[in-house]
Amino acid sequence: MSNQYRTVQLPEELCRDAEAWLKGRFESLESLIGFLLQEVIKDEGSKLDMLEEEIVQQRLKDLGYI
Amino acid sequence: MKRRSLILITVDCLRADHVGLQGYARPITPFLDSLSRNSAVVSNAIVAGAPTYFSFPAIMASRYSLTLGREAIGIAPGEPTIATVLKGSGYATAAFLAGNPYLSARYGYDQGFDEFQDFLASAVSGVKTFPPQTGSRMSGLNRRFEAISRHTKLTSLLYDELYFRYCQRKSAAENLTLDQLRRYPAADLLIDKASSWLTGVQEQPFFLWIHLMDPHHPYYPPKEALESLGITSVSARRARYLNSYWNRGDIGPNRLRQHKEEVVALYDAGIHWVDKQLARLASILQELQRWDETVFVVTADHGEEFLEREERYHSPTGLPEPLIHVPLLIRAPGSSSAKISSSPFSMIHLAPTLLEAVGTQDPVSFQGRSCWKEISVGQLPAAPVITECADGSNGTQQVEDRTKPRLLAVRDGDLKLVIRFSNQSDSLYDLKNDPEERSPLPVDACKRDRVRLLQIAREHLRRSTSRRDPALAVRARVREIRRALDLGPLTATAQEDHAVETARHG
Repeated sequence: MSNQYRTVQLPEELCRDAEAWLKGRFESLESLIGFLLQEVIKDEGSKLDMLEEEIVQQRLKDLGYI
Repeated sequence: MKRRSLILITVDCLRADHVGLQGYARPITPFLDSLSRNSAVVSNAIVAGAPTYFSFPAIMASRYSLTLGREAIGIAPGEPTIATVLKGSGYATAAFLAGNPYLSARYGYDQGFDEFQDFLASAVSGVKTFPPQTGSRMSGLNRRFEAISRHTKLTSLLYDELYFRYCQRKSAAENLTLDQLRRYPAADLLIDKASSWLTGVQEQPFFLWIHLMDPHHPYYPPKEALESLGITSVSARRARYLNSYWNRGDIGPNRLRQHKEEVVALYDAGIHWVDKQLARLASILQELQRWDETVFVVTADHGEEFLEREERYHSPTGLPEPLIHVPLLIRAPGSSSAKISSSPFSMIHLAPTLLEAVGTQDPVSFQGRSCWKEISVGQLPAAPVITECADGSNGTQQVEDRTKPRLLAVRDGDLKLVIRFSNQSDSLYDLKNDPEERSPLPVDACKRDRVRLLQIAREHLRRSTSRRDPALAVRARVREIRRALDLGPLTATAQEDHAVETARHG
């Protein structure tokens, strides 16, 4: 990832609650949010889906269908 | 007119060819066989995925498991299911599930149920495993012996044999009963709980889901079930030996086959116990005067292998018929004769079919369609069916275990195309002449059929991507992340990511 950062605005109360919760689990609010976003946007399944469709497509080509 | 109630019985590991109504010779399912004479029977029901975690999203939510992405399993928070639809229609709802960890609130299966008991707390027996001691002097000595034995094949085999016998002698000394050895609550307990709940339902229509684990390994049926089948030679000690033997990873199929018949007898006795308890449930419903208004359904999430392709249990390393072909019996009020459909039926259609059977509309999110009209008259039209899993995804606790290439099978008539994406191969089988799928047809044989089945697979893959609901997928992922943070260690990848982020900000 690049070293460029963006500022986002979150409700103060939510940030306070999250900071109270993250103690012992994450270093900071930024690391918690970064971790959560990375986990949520993980989508290996979609990449595999597309790859698998290409494999079937190629097989159909090999059989002379396409 | 009184609204119909629905009872859905799912039996873990129940193969289609081990029930009498599908032609099994051993008389282990007299109740189901008798019930089938007044029911709709789908003799070629194929699960949408196997094992449990790839099958149940289709059964409960009419969705192929992999449509939600491989990162998430189970039912997504807020995803419509049979239970949520019927609860929304004013039904009383309850689920009693015999301790399958994949059918728990953790994976969203509690949604839509007023009463949800997964029996996970009672699902592990007090059986010790051998060797129990680690770090002891004997254990250290044993490890040294083992290390030395691995130098040659012969000494390695000798070590494994002696070690197996040693463990058997130690465990036999415990003298436990079948009830003590059993890992999951038996069907009688589940039916007792369900009956208590039914008694309190009053006049309301209800949806009751019962998941039974009696045929699941390790195979420890109640003594009464064995005696009822005339199997008196298998003691608890013998059953323990057979289960340990069957579980051995150090011997090949030929040696395992020596005890196959006895192991299958234990499995069959588990099915027999289920049958007896379902008969009891039907009697209770009649006593409560609810039988004549209830749609009663019996099916399974997947089958079980007994070395047909050298495999045991129900690992997703293949999609052979013993694993994907399950019984399906739907007894609807007023039916007075058997209605048998022999065309392949995908379990992706089960949820909408059952909702129509009780007179309720299915939600748009369901991928399947109702086949109730056709099934209720025994005229299900022929159509291709698809079943799939993540290849070899045995442990689903970690996301990494699930992000594996697909294994997909297309069944159409007597033909079956199995596509293994991990090595980019496809094998076409003629099930009529090769029911055990031992010899794939030559690549240039049945080319038009192969192309047709590949096209069906391609369409399925396209729909799998296009029908994904990103909001549901994210909710399911968030549930997993919350679990990882609160209840267990983070996945290796998550820990690495976290470490990277911490270093960057720290």
